[in-house]
Amino acid sequence: MGFIKIFTKATCPKCPAVKEIGKELRKEGLPVLNYDLDTIDGLAEASFYSIRSAPSIVIEDEKEREVISWRGVVPTLQEVKQHLYKG
Amino acid sequence: MAAVIEMRGDRQNLREEAETTDMALFVRTSDGAMLGWDRQRIVDALMRETYVDFDTAREIAREVEELIATSRIKMITSPLIRELVDTKLVERGLEQARKMHTRLGMPLYDVDQLILHPNKENANVPHGPEATNLTLAERIKKEYALLTVFSQEIADAHMRGDIHLHDLGFIDRPYCSGQSLEYIKRFGLSLPNSIATAKPAKHPEVLLAHMVKFAAALQSHFAGAIGWDSINLFFAPYLVGMSVQEMEQLAQMMIFEFSQQAVARGGQAIFTDLNLYWEIPKHFENVPAIGPGGEFTGKTYSDYLKESQRFAKALFDVYQEGDGSGRPFFFPKPLVHITEKFFQAPGHTDFLYHICDVASEKGNTYFVFDRGETAKISECCRLSFKLDQTDLEDAKHPWKMRYCALQNVTLNLPRIAYLAKGEDSKLFSKISEFVEMAVKAHLEKKLFIEKLLSLGEKGPLALLAMDRDGSPYLRMHRASFLVGMVGLNELVQIHTGQEMHQSKQAFKFGLKVIAHMKLLVDKFSQRCGMRFVLEQTPAESTAYRFAKLDLKFHSPRSGHIVKGDISKGEVYYTNSTYLNNAAVLNPIERVRQEGLFHPLIEAGALTHIWLGEARPSKSSLANFVIKTFQLTQNDQIAFSPEFTACNRCHRTSRGLRPSCTYCGSGDVDGITRITGYFTKLSSWNKGKLGELRDRYRDQTFLKERGERVALETG
Repeated sequence: MGFIKIFTKATCPKCPAVKEIGKELRKEGLPVLNYDLDTIDGLAEASFYSIRSAPSIVIEDEKEREVISWRGVVPTLQEVKQHLYKG
Repeated sequence: MAAVIEMRGDRQNLREEAETTDMALFVRTSDGAMLGWDRQRIVDALMRETYVDFDTAREIAREVEELIATSRIKMITSPLIRELVDTKLVERGLEQARKMHTRLGMPLYDVDQLILHPNKENANVPHGPEATNLTLAERIKKEYALLTVFSQEIADAHMRGDIHLHDLGFIDRPYCSGQSLEYIKRFGLSLPNSIATAKPAKHPEVLLAHMVKFAAALQSHFAGAIGWDSINLFFAPYLVGMSVQEMEQLAQMMIFEFSQQAVARGGQAIFTDLNLYWEIPKHFENVPAIGPGGEFTGKTYSDYLKESQRFAKALFDVYQEGDGSGRPFFFPKPLVHITEKFFQAPGHTDFLYHICDVASEKGNTYFVFDRGETAKISECCRLSFKLDQTDLEDAKHPWKMRYCALQNVTLNLPRIAYLAKGEDSKLFSKISEFVEMAVKAHLEKKLFIEKLLSLGEKGPLALLAMDRDGSPYLRMHRASFLVGMVGLNELVQIHTGQEMHQSKQAFKFGLKVIAHMKLLVDKFSQRCGMRFVLEQTPAESTAYRFAKLDLKFHSPRSGHIVKGDISKGEVYYTNSTYLNNAAVLNPIERVRQEGLFHPLIEAGALTHIWLGEARPSKSSLANFVIKTFQLTQNDQIAFSPEFTACNRCHRTSRGLRPSCTYCGSGDVDGITRITGYFTKLSSWNKGKLGELRDRYRDQTFLKERGERVALETG
């Protein structure tokens, strides 16, 4: 499994919830990366995955290919974990 | 007006005479009058044109008179006198006064060359007297722009090639525009300074005539394209009950009119974009329709779907046939908007096949993708104007939907990379510096245009200032200010050692650069209260210009970076955010990858698919179009076949060939898309010819592969 990439924006009301998910996953030792869409790196990375809205989460495999993503919606922690441990 | 001064009599005598009135010098003006030499005229000019004080002016006039009197020159022209005055200003350190006093123009030699040889800066302009007039006028306006409209800093940046200020020769005009036919449907043709006015048209042929006249008037006020929104829809109320033949006839008239209008500027056709919809655009569904006589018909546009579709189909029938010799029409350009609603409209499959057939056969069709809630008016080869909430409000009164871009300023991205010398922080701060320069240039141009507009309907931009509906025709508050770019691929190559198609890291770096530019223009937009947006500059000659300048100023490094053939002088930088033209990429992959940049480039973007002489089936192109819409973020695509037109037998064959396949004549001209439009190769500049040689044309990808075309997403 590759990285879990979390995309947020300062002014987005649903983003804090997604950041929390990121925190929880990081606590469990998973590789989580946070990207702010108002920064160069964040916007560039989001563009690479065609992410147009916040919050979004992308899970990659070790070859940096997208496995699954949630775009503009907040999944539950369980949903995310489900996909992580699936493969 | 050149004034010729003749020296008469003995120069020795002249030197001895203190008073100018005794100098036997005469000025022959170009209207045939003979005036006596009077140094007071030098004083008057200096007082009128500069801030120089009276005493200094008088002193300068005396010195110049002395110089002329003691010289051996037999014939003196007033331009020379002006230059002599300028040297006196320079000697006194009065540089600003010198700039204000300077004469604009061209050397005799250059004018001579110009009249004889074609100018290749714009592939749109055929050689001829109007074209020469255009070039001469442009040269003077260009000098004017660099001396007085833009500050020294900006002018120097342009001359150096850090940035490119587009269409300097059209400094007194905005750049591109989006128009609504509803304006003349409603108000008729009543233009400032026109000899006659016309009431709103009652018949479609008359409406077309009005549209053509209006387009010509508009083209003389805009440097770039005139885009027409939803044209098939707005014609529809006039087409009720038309037979198939009448419809075809009207479609033919429209296309031939706009393809042939060769008087607008220097003999080139009006740069016309026709935006077409198969469905009724959502924002016009419930809008009351205007019909014959400029009257509301009592119906809404939803009620005219049938006529709208019939007209769109008829237009493409004409495109399919081509012109009298079977060649593709260069103008007008049809832009079909593909939206979610498109796929719900009845008959869309047949229409999609039809427009794809035209794309393959003649190459005309532009496919514009409006995903989600994005509605767009395309103004130009790729410029588009996204409609926001206020625009959607305006849609209830469609004649208000007039848009423009005031100016385009393009950044030389490879230059930035040379200057950064491999340091990331330096690169990004240089980018900021260059964007800031572009913003400054825009503010300067805006000020100038506003000055011209402030003179209202009696001023030089009367048409743009005219007010028939409560606001000036040019709506400054809806104007965009474009920041374009050339050579992102080369910037990445210089900075990382790899081109964007060569590795994911290199590609992602390219995204970072554009993300940085996007965030910057957003910030400036907020700060200045103006709409700065990124644009994929078509860069017909700019990519060539920048490459040449960088070969001059950044050799030897640039020699390894510029594309094309240095020995032939056919050098260029890759356009905007494109991947290398020569990269061996499956076109679907190119469309997908280039499309990743598109959401950042708000003013619009495009990917070219070079077909060469291949003629893919309409179903494979349709498939490609659908996949592009569903699986990529790409804004717009165009398929470009190539043709050879014979000047002897007037027939056209596919592919670029050195001789005619029918009669064998070598007197042939190639035809394909240069950047945003079709034209003959004989008018292309060297940079574009270099790029043409490098274009990768995948002949095999569009062969039928059953229903599914594989698309890599990893």
